[in-house]
Amino acid sequence: MQVETQIGDYYITYMVFPAFPDPNEPGRVNLYASRIDNGKPFAGEVAFKVRNDSLFNEEEELLGVQIPDDNVFRQGFEFRESGDFIVRAEFESDGEPYQVDFPLQIGEPARWGPIGITVAVIMFVLIAVNLIQRKRLTSDRIRSSHQSSPR
Amino acid sequence: MTMTHPGLPPSWSLVVCLFMLVLSGHMLLTNYIPNRRSKSINLAGIPVLGTFIRNLFEKPVILLLLKIIMVCLFILVISAGLSGSQIPERNIATVLTWNIWWAGLIISIFFLGSAWCAICPWDAISTWLVRRRLWRRAEPNNSLNLKVSRKLRSVWPALILFIALTWLELGVGVTSSPYMTALLALAMVLMATVSLAIYEGKAFCRYFCPVGRTIGFYSQLAPVELRPINTDICANCKTLECYYGSETVEPCPTHLVMGRLKQNTYCTSCGNCSRSCPDNNVAWRLRAPSKEAIEDARPHWDEAWFMLGLLALTEFHGITMISFYETWLLQFASLLNDSGKLLWSFSILLLLSLAVVVFIYTFFTWLTQIACQKKQDFKKIFSGFVFATLPLAFSYHIAHNLNHLFRESSGIGTLLLNPLGLNTQPLSMMEKHSRHQELLLSYDILFSLQAGLIAFGFWISLKVIQHRGNTMMADANWRLSPMVLFAIFITALHLWLLMQPMLMRF
Repeated sequence: MQVETQIGDYYITYMVFPAFPDPNEPGRVNLYASRIDNGKPFAGEVAFKVRNDSLFNEEEELLGVQIPDDNVFRQGFEFRESGDFIVRAEFESDGEPYQVDFPLQIGEPARWGPIGITVAVIMFVLIAVNLIQRKRLTSDRIRSSHQSSPR
Repeated sequence: MTMTHPGLPPSWSLVVCLFMLVLSGHMLLTNYIPNRRSKSINLAGIPVLGTFIRNLFEKPVILLLLKIIMVCLFILVISAGLSGSQIPERNIATVLTWNIWWAGLIISIFFLGSAWCAICPWDAISTWLVRRRLWRRAEPNNSLNLKVSRKLRSVWPALILFIALTWLELGVGVTSSPYMTALLALAMVLMATVSLAIYEGKAFCRYFCPVGRTIGFYSQLAPVELRPINTDICANCKTLECYYGSETVEPCPTHLVMGRLKQNTYCTSCGNCSRSCPDNNVAWRLRAPSKEAIEDARPHWDEAWFMLGLLALTEFHGITMISFYETWLLQFASLLNDSGKLLWSFSILLLLSLAVVVFIYTFFTWLTQIACQKKQDFKKIFSGFVFATLPLAFSYHIAHNLNHLFRESSGIGTLLLNPLGLNTQPLSMMEKHSRHQELLLSYDILFSLQAGLIAFGFWISLKVIQHRGNTMMADANWRLSPMVLFAIFITALHLWLLMQPMLMRF
């Protein structure tokens, strides 16, 4: 999978191999940064960090710091668990800090789980409503038979 | 690289500004003459169109067919979102939901009012599940039929859900995630079904659905209405089939009585009233657009807040799509020392945007109260003039959505061939450029439509201010200047937002 973006003075190209890696499968991020004005590739260091892509999560882990190899920054990884992650590439140029976030999906997202949960909740509600209604009807019948019986 | 759409040219904005000034001056300097003749045309009486409309609402099979089509599309969105490619521009779930349906829905209200509610898929699915009938009246024991508690009988729940929807859409980024789009669709079905199983009528549609309430309030400006043909027949009606239903037709899902109906806000266009009326006295009518917001709609405190929320959230949508919003968000996040998805910063900005609009409106309401020498209650002025925000929000909302609909829907043909986006790659720069060039409407037409809409919204807003001001206070002319200034300020803000280059969604 390839993503292109622009930040500050740089064009960034980011590639993940394979596009959607599985858990325990080695993968690689390739990053290429070149200046917008003259196309000169960035030659400093790039730090790759990773964090879980969940709401309000701020805990980051350093994957590694890379120097360019043929103008490309290559960072290997291997995740043990499935999930959505954010890979952050950080570098500094002309005294300015640059931070670029890219999504990384490990494994397949739960395909049918949400449908299963929805169906289960709906079934539960419908059955519960049905049972309550039956109980109501039975009490109504008993009440009406009591009222109609001679005293 | 993110693509941007060019904004409205300054020349168009200048024309709208001049129009605003001339119109405001004219309004403040001339005496108000109320329009006593409000004409409306019975659509069923028009030769070809009338037959179609009559069939559509009197024969439930046609409506059912439309519902089935919508439900099929809805299921396609859910399955594509859950099992298709997670590249937003390659999956029909995100493109159909956010670029076409959500953008087109607001535009459809301008012509068809709340027609969407009649074929809404989450309501159709929940009705089929709970009532276990495709169209006929169901036995009453399929739902607990509990009354909604008094505290919830307002549009506050819908407003809170609308804020939550905006948070999910713009903060969490549901719009660019097919998976989350599918989850949201499932959540809507779940909420509608649970509500229908517990409460009487369609409480979800009336009190909770943020989409339905948005449609309802904007429908006050629509040129169509479902109303009695002869009000005397309704006045003498003792059976109220529209309210209680008939042997075969369900009652009004939102508890409306046709004889007293003055506003579209809670009408879901289901047509039950027209099918159940024994005198065939209910019909679709064509009316002067916005007549309802100007004259008929009655002010309510909770509804006033919903309309203000609608204005604020619509503007916030626009702000998040201008090119320098990201910079603002980052600067704000660095102030708060927020990192990651910047959800704290986003949430605070969202609440701030709501607070700012409320503050500005409250300030101008206070000025109006001073101008009328405090003879009017603040609450009455607040909820009376708030109808003026409705055309401003609606016109800006449509103008903004035209960008999405006509500038971002060009790839739909490819998507229909591969709706799940299987074995596809993200759009390359070349493809993005080419889509960017493939407009469904030329820039000139688009800009003229946007400018026209903003001018139209302002004109209607002034009419609301003028009518409601004159019914509230005697000799109102100059005393309305604070509210006119409010309308000018908001319209100028909308023009400025439209002038900014807008980020392409994906």
